[in-house]
Amino acid sequence: MNRIRQWLSKINVETIKIELMNTAYGERTTLMAKLDPRVAIIWYLLFAILPWLFWNNTILIGMLVYMVILTALSRISPLILFLLCFGLVTEAGYVIFTALFFGGDLTAAAALLTFTMKLTIISLASIVIFTNMDPERFSDALLRFKVPETFCFGISYGYRMLPILIDEYQNIFNSFRLRGRFPEKKGVLAWRYVYHFCVTAVKAFYPMILNTAKRTRTTVEALEVKGFTYGMHNPEAKELKLSYLKTTKKDVLFLGITGVVLIAIIYTGTLYPIERTIHQL
Amino acid sequence: MIMTPPIIELKQVSFSYPSSGESVLHDVSLSVERGDFLAVIGGNGSGKTTLCKTFNGLIPHYYNGELAGVIRINGEAAQDTNTALLSKTVGYVYQDFESQLVRPRVLDEVRFAPLNYGWQDYKERGDEALDMLGLNDIKDEFIWQLSGGQKHLTALASVLSLQPDVIIVDEPVAQLDPVHAREIYYTLQYLNREHGITIIVIEHHTEFIAEFAQSVLLMDAGTVKWKKPTSEAMRCTTELQDHNILPPPVTRLAEAVDAEASRAPITLEEGTDWFRPWVPATSPRHIRPVPPAASKRAEIASFDGVTQGYKTVEKSFKWIFEDLSLSFYEGERIALVGGNGAGKSSLLKMLTGILRPRKGHITAAGQALHGTSPEKIAELVTYIYQNPEEMFIEDNIRADIEYFLKARKSPETSTYADELCRLFSLEDLQHKDGRLLSGGQQRRASLAIGLGTQPSLLLLDEPTSSLDINSREEVARLLHELKEHVKTVVTATHDMDLVAEWASRVIVLNEGTVEYDGGPRGLFSSHELMRRCSLYPPQIVRLSEKLGIQPSALDIHEFLPFVKGGGPCYESYPSVAFENQR
Amino acid sequence: MPNPIPHQKKELNQSQQLMIFVLSMSLFGIANIITEIVPEFSFGPVEFSVSYFAFIPLAMVFLFSPLPAALGAPLGEIIFADLLMGDFGGIGELEGFIEFALALYVAGLLVKNPNSRKQIAIASLVGVGIDQMLSTVVDIGKVWVGIEELEAVPGVPESILVLEGISFVNEMVISGVLFGLIPAMWLVPRLHGKIEPLMGFAPREDVSFRSAKEIVGARFLVFSVFFIFVGMISEFMAEMDVNFAVWQPEFIEQFGQQFLWVGVSAAIIVLILAVMGISYLKKSSSSGNPSRKAQ
Repeated sequence: MNRIRQWLSKINVETIKIELMNTAYGERTTLMAKLDPRVAIIWYLLFAILPWLFWNNTILIGMLVYMVILTALSRISPLILFLLCFGLVTEAGYVIFTALFFGGDLTAAAALLTFTMKLTIISLASIVIFTNMDPERFSDALLRFKVPETFCFGISYGYRMLPILIDEYQNIFNSFRLRGRFPEKKGVLAWRYVYHFCVTAVKAFYPMILNTAKRTRTTVEALEVKGFTYGMHNPEAKELKLSYLKTTKKDVLFLGITGVVLIAIIYTGTLYPIERTIHQL
Repeated sequence: MIMTPPIIELKQVSFSYPSSGESVLHDVSLSVERGDFLAVIGGNGSGKTTLCKTFNGLIPHYYNGELAGVIRINGEAAQDTNTALLSKTVGYVYQDFESQLVRPRVLDEVRFAPLNYGWQDYKERGDEALDMLGLNDIKDEFIWQLSGGQKHLTALASVLSLQPDVIIVDEPVAQLDPVHAREIYYTLQYLNREHGITIIVIEHHTEFIAEFAQSVLLMDAGTVKWKKPTSEAMRCTTELQDHNILPPPVTRLAEAVDAEASRAPITLEEGTDWFRPWVPATSPRHIRPVPPAASKRAEIASFDGVTQGYKTVEKSFKWIFEDLSLSFYEGERIALVGGNGAGKSSLLKMLTGILRPRKGHITAAGQALHGTSPEKIAELVTYIYQNPEEMFIEDNIRADIEYFLKARKSPETSTYADELCRLFSLEDLQHKDGRLLSGGQQRRASLAIGLGTQPSLLLLDEPTSSLDINSREEVARLLHELKEHVKTVVTATHDMDLVAEWASRVIVLNEGTVEYDGGPRGLFSSHELMRRCSLYPPQIVRLSEKLGIQPSALDIHEFLPFVKGGGPCYESYPSVAFENQR
Repeated sequence: MPNPIPHQKKELNQSQQLMIFVLSMSLFGIANIITEIVPEFSFGPVEFSVSYFAFIPLAMVFLFSPLPAALGAPLGEIIFADLLMGDFGGIGELEGFIEFALALYVAGLLVKNPNSRKQIAIASLVGVGIDQMLSTVVDIGKVWVGIEELEAVPGVPESILVLEGISFVNEMVISGVLFGLIPAMWLVPRLHGKIEPLMGFAPREDVSFRSAKEIVGARFLVFSVFFIFVGMISEFMAEMDVNFAVWQPEFIEQFGQQFLWVGVSAAIIVLILAVMGISYLKKSSSSGNPSRKAQ
């Protein structure tokens, strides 16, 4: 029970912050990071939609294997993968477990397996692509796909402001700690600590909102001065900004290989389908 | 020579913001010549910033208020164009320059503006701006990783990328340490001289104005008082002081020496020449050092073998301190100085328990901090943030002051808060939100909030940064008065004037080690040490150095005896040892 | 000679909208990072975790022009908590974005007077409710599409419904009430009239940000989302031939068909909570709230 107390006093915000920073600003040097972001997004969309169209387990297994290979090549952080697996397994686990109460049998598990496979393929596709993509390039690719300028700006602005905002919140939160008082009793399940922590976390947003409002005003004024709103209505500026996005041989090759792999998988799948046997009730 | 039209011309301009309705600018007429280096001065709320916002079209195009009169920028009427177009002529660097930087990396930032205008050569323009300011080394860095000085230069570069005719810089010194502030001014001077860019600065520090500006515009209550060449403006000492502006130290010194002086010096160079005949060219004088007293000092805080560091984004480990040992004693007024990144804030934060050392022990008021929660430590130690806004957690000052005692259900909450409000002259402000106050008021409020925890040890982070002279003096005065409320005060600061006039002990940190620990005079007499630790001594100290006065006089009052022919009488600044004996 | 130029505008200009958008984005973004750090306590499928600080975007849509605020908040979540933290879900994010933005926009339009705690309370619940209902609909839809002949898999449809129901109630209580309604009621009146001058514009009044058409639209949306939700669930149950009878028939007999309406009963629970909250607040705020006259 002392754990929460320990956690609260031991929580080293600096360490968490650096972890966050590493994820956000670490180097992105894998194969996927070098693709034209537009190609990467198209590739992703392909794998986000296709799994929904197949119920043939062979095809899904094929796609899954392909994804796993790419994931291995992309050097994804084990933590992220662990979280993904954990999430998928527990989710399916709950459903199967609950299904047993309603007279379910192993068919439920089999059905769920197909479903979970679909979700895994899609999740891996997004992890492979997006954990390796520079947010700047991502936002430019979106801009190319006619996503409104403000949204694309938002991505790179968030990328810029994240550390500042974290610092600010941390400072305000510490202000509360340095002037507040920690509950003396912990209560059942340490609820007093949890309550204290939650209330502080929420209250800290009051100054945070006001301070951020002040900062935002300067930012938007500066944007005005830097011709941002002017550029928004200027197609030439957009063209110029995006002119660096070029598809290279590498991209074509990548899409080509993906195409071949997909055709092979689907062909094999239709020849040797693994179907779920459906029990008629 | 052909008469070129002024780059900025205002005729009978009045303006009021929609929310208040009060007129902020009132019947302002002025012209700024091409190639000028203009300093806009005036007390808080005199309309300096509002005035400058009319130059780049933010007024009237962005701020919808009532505007009357004619504004001509580069010959064109500002009302007929828009902010985006005017910004190409007039660039603006904000006081809060951090919020002005909107892109993740330096290179993106400097290319952002030309890109928005759709200029084909946006890359070249950005690169050129980086070249001009010598920022090529940091062009791939993330903005958030830069130091304050580098950020300011980046903000300036991003403005430069539009190749404007005019650059306005709002209080460049406010957020920077003196060494970086000088760098910025040298850069502005270079842009002005070599590239013919008209520079307009909003500034309180007359030392910089005297050295760099060509002309000075004095604002008062929304009107222009006068615009004069710098040398003339700086000598209007009484008038400047009436408007809360402190003339350069050498000028004040010269006036103190000779009130009738017709051509009082305004810069250090002029001062050196001016004072040389007054100060007898004797060999360096040495004052009698006060012998260190046998100490019976009570220790209030100590660091023992403290090691601290953090992992960087590049996955390497950066040490801030390695095996640091240090003690603070009761009754001391300690100034913690050193360049950016020297570890000043980390040291203070370790004393609050917010930052835990990786190795070593820290005690405060006889209690080991290890295993004590920050909430508990806060009863002994108070930390006052550099940015007061981060301390305003309630919706009015009074509630903020009472927060700590209320949380502890202290019966004297109300009376003690009353006392603090009186001490810091916050009676009329106590029911306002801290964020709506002026810089000086915010600072006072933050001191009161800090004392609201009734600490023994008070830690201040840059208490005088971004304050105008008047508020700065006030804070300095209050720091002296704190003695009655707390046992020891530790101040991390870049403000060497504050060190000179307030501290009883100075600790110089450089790359995590203590380079100097002793009285301020000793520090200011070690010129080499100061340079190494990127510290910049006050003007009077530099004047003493130039004139061969050793040890240096720390302020005008100490300097006067030299000129008046008497010997040095430095006793008014007791050394650490002396102070501890009491 | 001096001729005053009129620059007063009733509506917010583009820059002001951008300001609201950026503010809402930054704040909800950082809030999401904080909720990521907060540990979770899960008890089987019932998670005692804070999935989001709903009060922040809610406060934004109540205080400012709802549309830019509603669009900014979910984007902030996507950028800060997902994209930058390497947890970007691709299309899943888009679906969340639409659900949440729509929910916030509607919630913002429902509030006429940001000082009225009653309105804040109702709008908060409606906001989180719409978001949760839509996400339930999408979740069920996914399973429906994703599992071939779902009706032939015994137990799974029921199981999905129960789990979705639990998660719905869980979210409504934690995100909707504990981290939505209650903090919003505390925060919004405090910020109203104070934050606007900091950003350089006049506080929101009844007419400033919403047209009659939008209000009608918002109400229509609330009802249609509710009907989609109920419709989807009943259709699902009918199609799947959901039969809870396999599991404890006595239970069903006792409570009848209502039990099947998992989602609906959840809504009712929340409604009761809301009514209780409002009646409590009515008592506490009836003494001296001058701006109420504005209604």
